[in-house]
Amino acid sequence: MPALNPQKHAGMLQSGARIILLPSWVIAIAIMLKGYADVGDGFSAGVIAALGVLLQGLAFGTDELEQITLSRIAPILSFVGLGLALLTAFVPILFGENLFTHWPGINEHAVHFGVLEFITPVVFDIGVFLIVYGFCVGGLHAIAREEVRQVRLRDRGRYLRSTTRGGSLADESGEVRL
Amino acid sequence: MMNPAMLLLVAAFAAPLVVSLLGAIRHSWVPRGAILMTGLAFAAAVWTCIQDDASVNVPWAPTWSMNFSLTLDGLAKMYALLATGIGFFVVLYASKYLALHLHHDHRLLEEQTRFFGFLLLFMASMVGLVMAQDLILIFVFWDLTAIASYFLIGFDRAEEESRSSAQMALLVTGITAIFVLLGALALFQIYGTFALPEIIIASNGGRNTGIAVGLIVLGALAKSAQVPMHFWLPRAMAAPTPVSAYLHSAAMVAAGVFLIGRVYPLVAQYDWMLDALLVIGFASMAVGGIIALTRRVLKQILAYSTISQYGYVVAMFGLGGEKGVAGATFYVLAHALVKSALFMTAGAVTEATGKKNLPDVGGLMRRMPLLAAGSGMAAAGLIALPLTIGFFKDELFFAAAYERGMTLAVMSVVGASLTLAYILRFWRQTFMGVLRTEPEPISGYLVWPVVVLGIASVVGGLWTVPAIWIVDRAASVSADAPIHLHIAYHLDARHENVMAIATWVAGLLIYLTRRIWWPAALGVAHLGSYFGPARLYYAGMRGLNQLSDSVHRIEVRDLRSRVATILMPAGLLVGLAVIVTPNSTSSFAVGALGRDDIPLITMLVASVVSAFVVIVVRDHFRLAISLSSVGFSLAGVYAFMGAPDVTLVALVVETVLSMFMIGMLVLMPRPILRFETEVRAERRYLRRDAIVAVVAAGMAFFVAWGALSRPSPSTEVIDSQTVLTAAVHGKDIVTVILADFRGFDTLGEVTVIALTLLGVISLLRTGRLR
Amino acid sequence: MILATSLAIAAMFAAGAYLMLKRDLIRLIAGMILIGNAANLFIMASGLRRGAAPILPLDEPTADPLVQAMVLTAIVISFATAALALALVYRVYISHYSVDLSRLSAAEEQQAERDEPMTEDLRESVRDDTDGEASPDGRHAREAAIR
Repeated sequence: MPALNPQKHAGMLQSGARIILLPSWVIAIAIMLKGYADVGDGFSAGVIAALGVLLQGLAFGTDELEQITLSRIAPILSFVGLGLALLTAFVPILFGENLFTHWPGINEHAVHFGVLEFITPVVFDIGVFLIVYGFCVGGLHAIAREEVRQVRLRDRGRYLRSTTRGGSLADESGEVRL
Repeated sequence: MMNPAMLLLVAAFAAPLVVSLLGAIRHSWVPRGAILMTGLAFAAAVWTCIQDDASVNVPWAPTWSMNFSLTLDGLAKMYALLATGIGFFVVLYASKYLALHLHHDHRLLEEQTRFFGFLLLFMASMVGLVMAQDLILIFVFWDLTAIASYFLIGFDRAEEESRSSAQMALLVTGITAIFVLLGALALFQIYGTFALPEIIIASNGGRNTGIAVGLIVLGALAKSAQVPMHFWLPRAMAAPTPVSAYLHSAAMVAAGVFLIGRVYPLVAQYDWMLDALLVIGFASMAVGGIIALTRRVLKQILAYSTISQYGYVVAMFGLGGEKGVAGATFYVLAHALVKSALFMTAGAVTEATGKKNLPDVGGLMRRMPLLAAGSGMAAAGLIALPLTIGFFKDELFFAAAYERGMTLAVMSVVGASLTLAYILRFWRQTFMGVLRTEPEPISGYLVWPVVVLGIASVVGGLWTVPAIWIVDRAASVSADAPIHLHIAYHLDARHENVMAIATWVAGLLIYLTRRIWWPAALGVAHLGSYFGPARLYYAGMRGLNQLSDSVHRIEVRDLRSRVATILMPAGLLVGLAVIVTPNSTSSFAVGALGRDDIPLITMLVASVVSAFVVIVVRDHFRLAISLSSVGFSLAGVYAFMGAPDVTLVALVVETVLSMFMIGMLVLMPRPILRFETEVRAERRYLRRDAIVAVVAAGMAFFVAWGALSRPSPSTEVIDSQTVLTAAVHGKDIVTVILADFRGFDTLGEVTVIALTLLGVISLLRTGRLR
Repeated sequence: MILATSLAIAAMFAAGAYLMLKRDLIRLIAGMILIGNAANLFIMASGLRRGAAPILPLDEPTADPLVQAMVLTAIVISFATAALALALVYRVYISHYSVDLSRLSAAEEQQAERDEPMTEDLRESVRDDTDGEASPDGRHAREAAIR
C-alpha cells in the first residue's frame, strides 16, 4: 500500500493512526461479541479490526506492518479461525449430535458473564472474525511487500527495462525477473 | 484356514504393495522382492488350485445389488495359474533384463520400482479379474489391467513411440471397456442383478440380453486384439520385452478370451454371435498370419502371431460345442506357455546381439545352444509338432472345425500352415544359417526361463494329465456342463492327423516358396496399414485434436467473445420467453411507490450513475474510485432497506476492496496502465459491446422484474426464524441465521475466503509460479 | 418500487457486462464486481417484507432477515474473489508485461505455434507402420528381408 508523503502528512496521520488502533480493536471485538444481540457480526468486526491495523501501514509505511505482530501473523490467524469454525461445526458430531448443534440448546439456560452470554455461536463468529481479518490484512500486506520489493529493484536501476517496450510479450519476457 | 479365493487375492495384491514399499526403502531389493512375491503368489495359486472351489461374497453396494463376490472355480484356477506362473518366469527374466535395459538407455535403476510395481499390479488385477463374479467387479479389474498395461507399455516414457503406443492401447482397450460396462448395465436392467452366475441361470435368450452380451464380447475382442481392433497390439511392442511376453501370453490379451469364456454360457445361446466369433476369429487368423510373415522386427512377428493365435481361440469359441469350448480353453493354456518363451527368446537375442530385426541375426545356434533348444521346444509347441503340448491344441482345433464341414476344415489348415511358416522363419533365421552378429554373453536369467517353459511345453505333450485336469475344470465352467477332454496320440489316419500332416506340408511349402508370394503378402500388409482400422484411429485422434484446438480458439483465446457468447443467447432466450409467454404483461407488477421510498430511490439512482461513471472514465484510478462509490451507494440502499448488518459489512468491505484495487494499480507501472487508457477501442467493438450490454441488460431486467413481481406468499420461514432466534439466546436475527440456522453455508463461505487468501499471497509472491 | 429496483439492477448489470467485454483485464474485473453488486441488490430486493431492522424485540414489521444473511456473505465472498482476480491480473502482468487481452491471446497464439508439432507426429506415424517394414530403398532391403 502506498505510504503517503511522510513530510506532509506525518504528524497528524501518524498520531491519529496510533490513537485509532486500540479503539478499532475494541469496537471490532465489541461488535463481534454483541453480534448476537445487535448490529454486526464476525464479518464486519474482522474488516474493522483489519482497517485499524492497515491504517498503521498507511501512516508509518510497510515496515511498520512488518513490526506489528498482529499483521505479521495475519495469514496464520486466518487459518486458526478456519480451524475454530470447523471445530464448532464438527465437534458436535463427536457427541452424537448433528453438525452445528450449538450449546446451550433451545431454551436452555446460558452461562452469563456480566451482560454477555456464553454461547458457542460466538466461538464460530470468532472464527469468522479471524478469517476475515486475516484475509484483509494478509492480502494487503502481501501487496505492500511486493511494492516495496519493486521500489527496491527500481532503485537499483534494474527495474523493468521492458515495460517501456510494452507490447513485447512472450519473447524475451522470460529474461526479466522481478 | 483362510478362504482360498481370498488368500489368492491377498497374495496377488500384496505383491505390488510390498514391492513398492521395498522400492521406497532400497531399490536394489526390488527385483529380488518381486521374484519372492510372485513366487509366493504362484505357490498360493498352485495350492488353491488343488483345493475345492471357494467363494467370497461381501456386500459392496447392496442397494444396487453389487457384491464383492469372488469365486475360485475351474476357469479362475486355470487363468490364475497362468497369470502367476508365467508372471513368475517373466519376473525372473525381468530381474536381469530390466537392469540391462535401463543401463542401455542411461536411466536410473530406481525406475525398476515403477516397472515391477506395475507388472505385479498387472498380475494382481488379472488374478482379481479371473475370480470376479460380479459384472461391475469384472469391469473394475478389467480397467485395472488396462491402466497397468498403459504404464508398462509407456515405460520408456522418454520415447515418443512408447508414449503413443501406450496411449493407443489405453484408448482402444479403455473405450471398448465402456462396452463391457454398458453390457453389464444392460444386463442389470434386464435381470436386476450384477451377479454373473444368477444372470446365467435366469437368462432367457432374449434379444436384449443378446445385445448386452454382444457388447461385453465386443470389449473382450478388442482386448484380445482381434480384427478389426488388432492394430494396438503390434505397436504395444514398444514396451520392454518382459511386458510383451506377459501381455501376450497370460495377461491383457488373455483377459479378452477369458471374458468370452466367462460369459460363454450366455454367448452360446445366440447362433449369430457364435457365427460372428467364427468370422472374426478366422479373419484375425488370416490377417495376423499373413502380416506376421512379412515383418522384419523379431517382436513384431510374434505380435502378429498373437493376433492370429487368439484368432484360433475365438474361432473355436465360435465353433462351439464341447470340442470347441474345450479346444479354446486348452489352446489358451498351451499358447501361453510357448508364446511367453518365444518373446523372451526375442528379448534375449536382442540383448545379446543388439539387433532387433530378423535379417540382422542368424546362426546363433552354436553360440547360444541353450536358448536355441529352449525356444526350439517352444516353437515346436506353437507349430504343433507331436510330443509337445501344442500338438493337441491343433488336434482339438481340427477336430472342432472338421465337425462343421469341409470349408472350415480347409480354412483351419491354411491358417495353421501360416503359423508354421512364420514360426519356422522366425526360429530358423534366428538360430540357423550364417552368423550375422556375434552375440555377447548374457545372464542365465534371460535363458533359463525360456528353457523351463520350453521343457514344460514338451512335458505337457508327453504327460497330459495335469493339463487335462486343469482344462476339464475350466472348460466345464465355460460350457456350463461337465466336459471331459480326451487327448492322446493316435497313429492312424483319422482326419485330425491327416489335417495336421497337411498343415506341415503346406506350411513348409509356404516357407520354401516365400520369394514368390512375398510381394503379395507385403501388398496385403500395406493395404492394411493404409486402409485398415489404424488409419481410422489416427484420423479420429487428429479430428479430436483439431476439435479441441478449435474449441480452444473460440472459447479460450478470446475471453471477450466467450463472455459475449454467453450473454447474447441468454438475453435473446429470455427476450423470446417474454414475448412468447401468453399474458406475460400481467405477471409483471410495477409495485407501490410511496413517499418513504424517496431516500431509497435516491441511493439507487446514485449507484446507477456511479456504475455508468465506471464505464466512462478512462483513467484506472478514477475507475477504482467510481467503482467504490457504486459500492458505497449500495450500502446506502441496504441501509434504507432495513438491513444495518449488511450496510456495515458493505461499507467496510468496500473500503478494503478499494485499498486492494488501488494497491494493485500501484504495483503495475504507469506505462502499462497508460497504454490501456490511451488506446481507443475500435468503433466496431464499441458497437458490439454496446449491443451485447443492452441485450444483457434486457435479460437482467426481465429476470429481475419477473422474479420480484412474484414473491412467495408465505412468510412462514421468517416468522419461525424470528421465534427461534429468541429461543437460541439471540436478538439479531441476521447474525443468528449466519452463525446458527445456516451455519453450514457460512462455514463453506469462510473456507473459500481462507483458501482465497492462500491464492492471493502465493500469486503476489513473485518468482514462485512462473 | 419493484420496477425501479429492477431497472437499477438491469442498469448495473449492463454496465458490468459492457466492462467485461473490454480488452483491459482491470476493467474486466470491475465489470465482475459490478455484476456482483447487481446480483446482491437483486437478492436484497427479493426479500419478502420490508420494514425495520430485524433485531429483537420487534415493535414494528421488520425486513426479511434471510436475504440479508445471504447478501452479507455474498458481499464478503465477492470481495474475496475480486481480490483473487486482482492478484491474478497482477500475475499476468508479471509474466507478460501486459494486461491487454488481445495481446495476451496473441502471445498465446505464438506459444501454441511453437508447441505445434503434435498433429504432425500423428500424421507421420501412419506411415511409420509400413516404412519400418518395407523401406523405399528398394530391392536390396527387400531381398534381405525375404531371405
